[in-house]
Amino acid sequence: MAGAKKYYAAAVLAVWLIIIAFFMVLSRTLDLEVFFVLALIGLLVVAVLIDGAFSRPRYMRYIGYIIAAGVALFAYIVVQKILEILAA
Amino acid sequence: MNARASHTILAAAAILVLVLIGVQAVDPVLYAAKNISTAAHVDPATIQKRSIGDAASLVPLMDDLLGQTGTLALTIKLKDYESAERDLARYNELSRRFDRLVVTLDVSGTNIGEFQQNNRQNQDALTALLNDTRQFDALQRLEIEVRGDDEQHMTVVYEGEALRQKMRESFSAYAKREAATVRIAEHYDINATPYQESVDHFAEVADAANGWQEEINGNGTGPAQSPLVIAVTPVEGSYGDVLLIGGVHAGGRPGTPIDIYVDSRLAATAALDDDRAYVHPYQVGRILAGPHLAYATAGTIYSNVAAFEVLPQNTSITLALAEVNGTTVACTGNLTTDDARPVTQAPVLIRVDGDTLVAAETDGNGTYRKDIPLPAGEHALRAEFHAAGYPLNASESPTEIATLRGEGLSPFPFAAAIAAAAGTGWYLRRRRPEENTPAAEPEATPPPEAARPAPQVSIAGLPPREAATVLFCALRARLNLPKTKTPRDCARIAPAYAVFFERYERIRYAGETPSEEELMDMERIALGGDADRA
Amino acid sequence: MQIEREAWAVLLILLLAAAVAYAHVTTTTEEYSRYNTGWNGTSALPAEEVRDLRNLDTAATLLILAPDRPFTAEEVGYLRTFLDAGGRVVIADEQGAANSLLADLGSTMRVRPGNLSSLERDRADPGIFAARVVGNTSLFAGVGTVLVNRPAAVTGGEPLLETAALTWEDADGDGRISGDEVFGTAVTCAAEGNLTVLGDESLFINAMLAENPQFIENIQPVQVDRIHSGTGTANPIVNTRLWIQETPPAAAAVAALAILPVAWHFGRKRDD
Repeated sequence: MAGAKKYYAAAVLAVWLIIIAFFMVLSRTLDLEVFFVLALIGLLVVAVLIDGAFSRPRYMRYIGYIIAAGVALFAYIVVQKILEILAA
Repeated sequence: MNARASHTILAAAAILVLVLIGVQAVDPVLYAAKNISTAAHVDPATIQKRSIGDAASLVPLMDDLLGQTGTLALTIKLKDYESAERDLARYNELSRRFDRLVVTLDVSGTNIGEFQQNNRQNQDALTALLNDTRQFDALQRLEIEVRGDDEQHMTVVYEGEALRQKMRESFSAYAKREAATVRIAEHYDINATPYQESVDHFAEVADAANGWQEEINGNGTGPAQSPLVIAVTPVEGSYGDVLLIGGVHAGGRPGTPIDIYVDSRLAATAALDDDRAYVHPYQVGRILAGPHLAYATAGTIYSNVAAFEVLPQNTSITLALAEVNGTTVACTGNLTTDDARPVTQAPVLIRVDGDTLVAAETDGNGTYRKDIPLPAGEHALRAEFHAAGYPLNASESPTEIATLRGEGLSPFPFAAAIAAAAGTGWYLRRRRPEENTPAAEPEATPPPEAARPAPQVSIAGLPPREAATVLFCALRARLNLPKTKTPRDCARIAPAYAVFFERYERIRYAGETPSEEELMDMERIALGGDADRA
Repeated sequence: MQIEREAWAVLLILLLAAAVAYAHVTTTTEEYSRYNTGWNGTSALPAEEVRDLRNLDTAATLLILAPDRPFTAEEVGYLRTFLDAGGRVVIADEQGAANSLLADLGSTMRVRPGNLSSLERDRADPGIFAARVVGNTSLFAGVGTVLVNRPAAVTGGEPLLETAALTWEDADGDGRISGDEVFGTAVTCAAEGNLTVLGDESLFINAMLAENPQFIENIQPVQVDRIHSGTGTANPIVNTRLWIQETPPAAAAVAALAILPVAWHFGRKRDD
């Protein structure tokens, strides 16, 4: 089944995002930065698991750029938090 | 249920969730941690705890102060000067602590501020009483010695008269404050009995002086009149006014220095002019509001005592904020009385965020300026003038908000973001070198021969590893490579298909199993395709 | 097999999303609401709710928390019967809405809404401070001070809770004593016989329950007057669920609605 893996990956990512949202709503604390970091972790895990070693399907072609952008944003958030802690 | 149905359901669920979120989008502050207080209550978990502070010690301190006046007045009356000194020192210490507490707790606008002013005046009055009583005692002893000498006796009489007048005026002022102080004490449930007793002791001391003076005057015609006369004009003044203190010395020679005392402290020395008159312009400065006494001495001759009143005045203080740089704010302002007179060399307090106090001082024009370093953010600043020792009422400026930018946007997060992106890109590229090398370098070794029409092989129904083997043979045949070549050899000979051959090598010899997808790719390559998978 | 697995996955995702939506929709952020699990709700207060003031159990204390509905003459009569029978009534109100009820009950106590602030406190906010227990009552047995949260003053009656001397009514809300505000002690809880008026409703919210544990224990068992207290909610979904729980026919209808499709699905003959 071509593309079954694609759907499974998308479904797992969606379920992961819903789980994060569920716990955030339950504890009534909505924090965009925490949500983004957890979503990035999910994306990275899914990308590693579905990556074939020697074949790169079309839907995996540009994931490198998305991951690079996500990691750049993550680094920005981390350094800003560190600066906040140092300044306090 | 087929794929289309499940897609529809997924789409419908997504739209439903978006609608639910959209409904909340109008008021997006959901469950924010900022929502910690309402009009009816505050979330105690989010309010910082702080030390109990000294508010609880304010009322007991007022109690101590009133109690101390009683003890002090009693020891003075009993002429126990050593204990009186100790008591006075303790009383001054308590007053200092009380003043500091009132400023820190920011309660000077209430009746506690009024109590504080009365207390300061009581402090002055009791100190003067102690000194005067001591001097009076010495005078009494001296009087006995100089009974024979008329001239010396007269000077003693004059001095005694001056002291008596001082004590009398001092007592009347002290008694006038009793009603207000007792009222405030009762408001806070403080025991005012020691204070009321102190008023009685003070009265007794003043009466004793009265009695002695009448005695030594003998059956004279009332109190002796000193040749040195002093008067204050005008009798009232406020801060900044100039009062003329002067008089005549009937028995003096021109040029004699006359010492002028205000409240038992030497204020100035004037010289007698040819008319045997002296005058000194006295500017009302840092002196408490209320009644004050002035007298003069010429050698050993004491004058009478002149009373003058200093009237309290309201003040106003302004505050202007200017940003010096991202971390410091400059506070400037003017402190003036209601008559537009500047208050010079006065202490000003700037309260930052309700807690921290920064001290500043006004210059000769009543202007003060202070630079305060603060962390970034919004801060509330207020300038306050607590008129300690001035005949002025306290005042405060309206609260101003200073917004500090801080040190500006730091470049670190951006540098980190760029470095992280570059690092990720480099890492991902390193993991896939085979993608680039075939595309980058020109076809150095063209495939041995252009494609021969692909042999029709079918791998349907075959187990994966066998299918891979079939595909390998097909590709090898297509590339016209001899059947003796191992996969590794093929990879070396035809680097364009190196990935395929290396993958097959792992499948064949390392026991790996290709996935469906990989098989499809391999099939595509083997039966004719390009190096880039679609 | 593959397609059915996909269907199950979709169903699972839908269920998860529905759970998220349900969790959001069945709790509220209204003040004092029993369905508010946040800091200003009363969901953690161990109390039972009564809908009817007739024939109340005199062993439990009746708590009227933040009353927002007027009491009819009939209900005032029931309350008086309850008080005469020995039941204890605690009215917690800082808005002044209970004053008409107190007048109807013939009490001289009144709630004076305002912004009591104190200098003698151990927190940064002037509205949270400790009030001293004076007077002798089982409600405050074993309690020395009660932490109050922006209370109102109560006039009349026998004082039970008194504030410190450096307390003032912050009329201009600037957090410090200024203008013509004066210091003075205030009474935040008073009682007349079995009727106690507490000038601080905030003692019963979730965040404050841990601050005065002995008081909350002393007041047990407690029944909350659901009709008049502000512990309800305007959320229609919660109200519908409550209505279904209370009306047996409605509950039966919902159960039938849930069971019938399942029974139909498994009951019919499967044609393969």
